[in-house]
Amino acid sequence: MTIERMNNKIDSIIRACRLIRKMNQSGPNARKSDILYYNMLEGYYKRLLSAHDNNNLIAAHTDFFPVELLYAMDIVPMHTEVTTWMIVLFTGEIENILASGSELGLVSEICTPHRGIAGAYANGVVPRPDMMLWSNLVCDNTAKSGELIVEITGSKGYFLDYPFKSSASEMDYLVAELGDLVGFLERQSGRKMDWDRLSHIVGQMNVQIELMRQINELRKAVPTPFSPLGFLQLITADYLCPGQPEAIAYLETLRDELSQMVEAGEGAVSNERFRLMSFWLPPMHMMGFLDRIAEEFGAVSVTEPFFTFWGEGELDPGKPLESVARKSYIIPAMRMFGPMDERAIGSIVDCVEQYRVNGAVYYANIGCRHTCATIKLFKDVLADVDVPMLTIDCDVVDPTVTSEDEVRGKLEQFFEMLEDR
Amino acid sequence: MNSLDRFRKVNESFPMTDQILEHKSRGGKVFGWLCTYVPEEIIHAAGALPIRIIGYSHEANLDDADAHLYINNCTFSRSCLQLGLEGEYDFLDGVVGGSTCDGARRLFDIWRQYIGTPFHHVLTVPRKYTERAQRLYYDEIVAFKKHFEEYTGVDISDEALHQSTILFNESRSLLRRLYELRKRDKPPISGAETMEVLNAAYRMPKEIFNEWLGELIGDLESSDRACSGRARVMLVGSVLTNPEFVKSIEDQGALVVTDELCTSTRYWGDPVIIDNDRPVLESISRRYLNNFPCARMYPSDERFNRIIDFAKDYRVDGVISQIVRYCVPYAHDLPLLTDRLNGQGIPTLGLDVEYGTSGSGQVATRVQAFIEMLEARDK
Ligand code: SF4
Ligand code: SF4
Repeated sequence: MTIERMNNKIDSIIRACRLIRKMNQSGPNARKSDILYYNMLEGYYKRLLSAHDNNNLIAAHTDFFPVELLYAMDIVPMHTEVTTWMIVLFTGEIENILASGSELGLVSEICTPHRGIAGAYANGVVPRPDMMLWSNLVCDNTAKSGELIVEITGSKGYFLDYPFKSSASEMDYLVAELGDLVGFLERQSGRKMDWDRLSHIVGQMNVQIELMRQINELRKAVPTPFSPLGFLQLITADYLCPGQPEAIAYLETLRDELSQMVEAGEGAVSNERFRLMSFWLPPMHMMGFLDRIAEEFGAVSVTEPFFTFWGEGELDPGKPLESVARKSYIIPAMRMFGPMDERAIGSIVDCVEQYRVNGAVYYANIGCRHTCATIKLFKDVLADVDVPMLTIDCDVVDPTVTSEDEVRGKLEQFFEMLEDR
Repeated sequence: MNSLDRFRKVNESFPMTDQILEHKSRGGKVFGWLCTYVPEEIIHAAGALPIRIIGYSHEANLDDADAHLYINNCTFSRSCLQLGLEGEYDFLDGVVGGSTCDGARRLFDIWRQYIGTPFHHVLTVPRKYTERAQRLYYDEIVAFKKHFEEYTGVDISDEALHQSTILFNESRSLLRRLYELRKRDKPPISGAETMEVLNAAYRMPKEIFNEWLGELIGDLESSDRACSGRARVMLVGSVLTNPEFVKSIEDQGALVVTDELCTSTRYWGDPVIIDNDRPVLESISRRYLNNFPCARMYPSDERFNRIIDFAKDYRVDGVISQIVRYCVPYAHDLPLLTDRLNGQGIPTLGLDVEYGTSGSGQVATRVQAFIEMLEARDK
């Protein structure tokens, strides 16, 4: 296998980011935050590509894995699910890697981000990780994907066991698990954890969370200033670069831009008509199309209770490991991981009120069963506060599941219904 | 055989079996559990009857459940929910679940929201076997016991727990004896018949079950019944409760001699080891966490090694893995399990099924081809 072939998907992502960044820079309405966002992405994947040349190890990891620990040790993270999205978003190619995932014996019910990344490793189109880190946060796919990847790539693996609830003994358990993880990382890398650096990253995480809260506040404005599907950028910044300067630079700039727009009464779309709540991920291959629809119908996602609506609380840089554990309990997605209780359901109603939502769109990713199991529940909760919800069956990376025509038809009908109300 | 037929009769009146009715009519409480990580002994020690919540043991219309859990959750959880939504589990005083897999935890969530069962409890179940995980699970079991005591108003004494443990261990040991008979070249009981016995185990008081099972084993030991087939097969994978499915495999000429299912070996797999140096509750919690593992546990080789040991012990020619669609934990394990079994020279047939299926049609054709392949290897 040649190096060119090994790295070609990551290369393509980097090239695409560079191109978009340059196009943004040369455009008349260049948004500095957009440039910084693509800069952040490009930097993330460049570090991945050059990790071995720089004598750094690569650690592949699943959703919400505490990568703060990796950054504190100069271990280069590679987010498995996000990398599958990025491959689709920037290269449009997914068929081959999904087919390779199936050839490994992964059946079609296993969600495409995981089938895809296993296929990508088997094909050698992404760099081989030195370590695979995975956890049961948030689903069975994250919990079960690691061992096969360890086997395919010949890497070392660590499974982080997240307790389901948040009692004191569960928190102690998680902190101790993180302690073991640090030991594992030290053994694999031959480096010691830099605790000062971790404390600094935790401190910066506070800054980052606060920025995201401020951005959320600004999104409450009517019209809302943030782009219709901009939440994907917010979650990407947190998933890939928590507590990192490039994420903070992006978020600070974005906050300032949004704040100016709010002051000027400017909205993200020219004629805001529908303020939407979004659940989960729209298909990556439809991003451009969905942006056009948003502009055409004046429909903007203003809140995402399980993606961007951060819980209360602050992290303590003086207790870095405990803080990393604690962060898991304030991330918005955590409300979907633990028991589906009043806290989780209450956050939906809170968001409706705070963001003046008049409709909700649920992207029902067919491979993502723990989310889809809540479709009816969320629909009923929203119906109680008089907010209709549209469900769009789709797949985040597989373009064969639904077509643009189908999605357009559904959205048009939904918007008409909202208008009639 | 009379001693076998009475288990079948229990199952015919599922979900509200005559035995449950009898317990209720005496004012007894009945609690449903959703997964094998829920310690039945605690429920029993409070004088209540623990029963397993399962779905239809046949293909059924799941429209209501599809609407509540969506079509991409396993048919097992949807089938259980369908029964619940239809009011078939209205006799339950409570439901106890665990954070075992997405299917089970969402079944618990949706059950709690839409079905008016009065008591609910969900346990955090660690995925590891470390000492730390044992301590966490013990804390969870202690918290469950406390919650259960508060709800039922019964103080569960160590002595009551001890007695319940002895009773449930007796069931485990009898089921093991039943399985021992299946090691014979020509076992006196088929795989499908064994499943009838297992199904009854979750739907009746263990006091009666043990008595009946003891009698059945006695009858089988002294009978000249002999089941035979062209290949000895082990069934592994997702939850399975339909004896018709096992029968359809046996009708193709296979002899199902053992299995690895949460409704069989993984239910009775290991006894509680009573250790006088530790509280009985701790012995219980250790047993439940360390028991024959589900695919949710890490590392998966613990499960694979147990399967290989069983396969050798029961001298199986091949393994049939049946995975309920959207049962992600088992689906993820299949490539590695197939690889491990291949390494032992044991071929695997992977079947994608819906829970409750009777296994006709395509399944039968594939099983037939598999048996022919196993036969050809033997020659
Ligand atoms: S898409 Fe859903 S099932 Fe897949 S990793 Fe993400 S949360 Fe888990
Ligand atoms: S183990 Fe599989 S079949 Fe059983 S509840 Fe979980 S997902 Fe469903």
